Amino acid sequence: MTSPHPGPKSVRTVDTDSDKGKTDGKSMLRQKDRERYQRQIGLPEIGEQGQKRLGRSRVLLAGLGGLGSVLAASLCAAGVGFLRIADRDRVELSNLNRQILHWTADIGREKTVSAGEKLAAFNPEVVLEPRQIAIAEDTVQELLRDCQIIVDGTDNLESRRVLNRASLKTGLPFIHGGINGFNGMLSTFIPGRTPCFECLFSEFGGGSGCPSVLGATAGIVGSLQSLEALKYLLGMHAELLTGRLLIVQGRSMTFRKIRLEPNPACPECG
Amino acid sequence: MMTATIHITLNGFEEAVVSEATIASLIRDFNEQDSDLIVEHNGCFVYPAEYGKRVLQDGDRLEFINPNFGG
Repeated sequence: MTSPHPGPKSVRTVDTDSDKGKTDGKSMLRQKDRERYQRQIGLPEIGEQGQKRLGRSRVLLAGLGGLGSVLAASLCAAGVGFLRIADRDRVELSNLNRQILHWTADIGREKTVSAGEKLAAFNPEVVLEPRQIAIAEDTVQELLRDCQIIVDGTDNLESRRVLNRASLKTGLPFIHGGINGFNGMLSTFIPGRTPCFECLFSEFGGGSGCPSVLGATAGIVGSLQSLEALKYLLGMHAELLTGRLLIVQGRSMTFRKIRLEPNPACPECG
Repeated sequence: MMTATIHITLNGFEEAVVSEATIASLIRDFNEQDSDLIVEHNGCFVYPAEYGKRVLQDGDRLEFINPNFGG
C-alpha cells in the first residue's frame, strides 16, 4: 500500500544562531545549548565538540511506532540537528501500550503529526521534518536526501528490505532493530564493512500478523539503537555493534552477541 | 549395532545426538516447525545454505532462535 508522495509539509526551522548546518567547527556552543546538554557534554566521548557534531547531524528515522517513539525521543533529547520522521499510519488505541509518543487524545491522528508535536515541545532546537508517507522503493531515496544515517523504527520485513537496499545504494549505515514479546534483536549494518540485513534474512518470510509486544521491550531495543546511532554520529565507529547481532531475551534478562560472517550467497550484497 | 552419539548443548540443554548430525537434521529431529529460524552455532550466525553441510562436533553449542521483526 503506497500513499501519495507529499513533500515536506512541516519543516520547522529555528533562529539563525541555532541553524546547525551553519555552525562551524570552531564556534562556541550557545549558552542555552551548553546548559541543556550539560550532563552529556561532561562525557569525554562527547564534550562541546561532540555536541556540536550532533547538532550538525542529519538522521532519517523510518517508523514512529514502539521502537520509533523511543528512538525519536532519545535522538531529540541528545540534540541531533535534523530529524526526518517518516510513517504512513495513524494512531490507534492498540498502539498505546508501547508507542510512547502517541497518547489517548491522538487516536486517529497522523503519527507524524502526533510525534512531531511532542518532539518539538521536548526539544525545540531540533529541526524536524515529518513525512506522512510509506517507506517504499519509490519514496526512500527522497526520504534519505542529505541524511547521514538510517534508523530502523519499522515493524515489518518489507520496509526493512527497502531501507537495506537504500543503505547499500547510498553507503549510509542502517541501524536495525526488531522486537517481539519480551525479546528483541539489533545490529548496525555498514555497507562495505559488515554483512547487510539481507545477508541474514533474505530467506525469511516475516511471519504473519502483528506480534504481541511489551512497551518495555521497545524501550530497551529502541534505546540500544539510539545509542548506536549517537555513537556513529559522534564518530565512535570502532565501538559499534557491527558484525554482531545482539539478541535480547527479556524473560531471562540475557543479552548475547552472535558473530556475523559475510554471506557470499546474499542476493543484495554477496 | 550401536549408533555413536555426541553431546551438544541445544537451547541451553545438554542433548545426546547422533554423530554426523547436521544442523538440518537437528532442525528436523527436534521438530522445529518455524521456517523463520535463526541458528547460532558456537556463537556464530549460520546461514541456511550451511544447514545441511555443518556437521556438529562433541561439545558444540547450538541455539535455535525466533527472529523479532516487530517494531
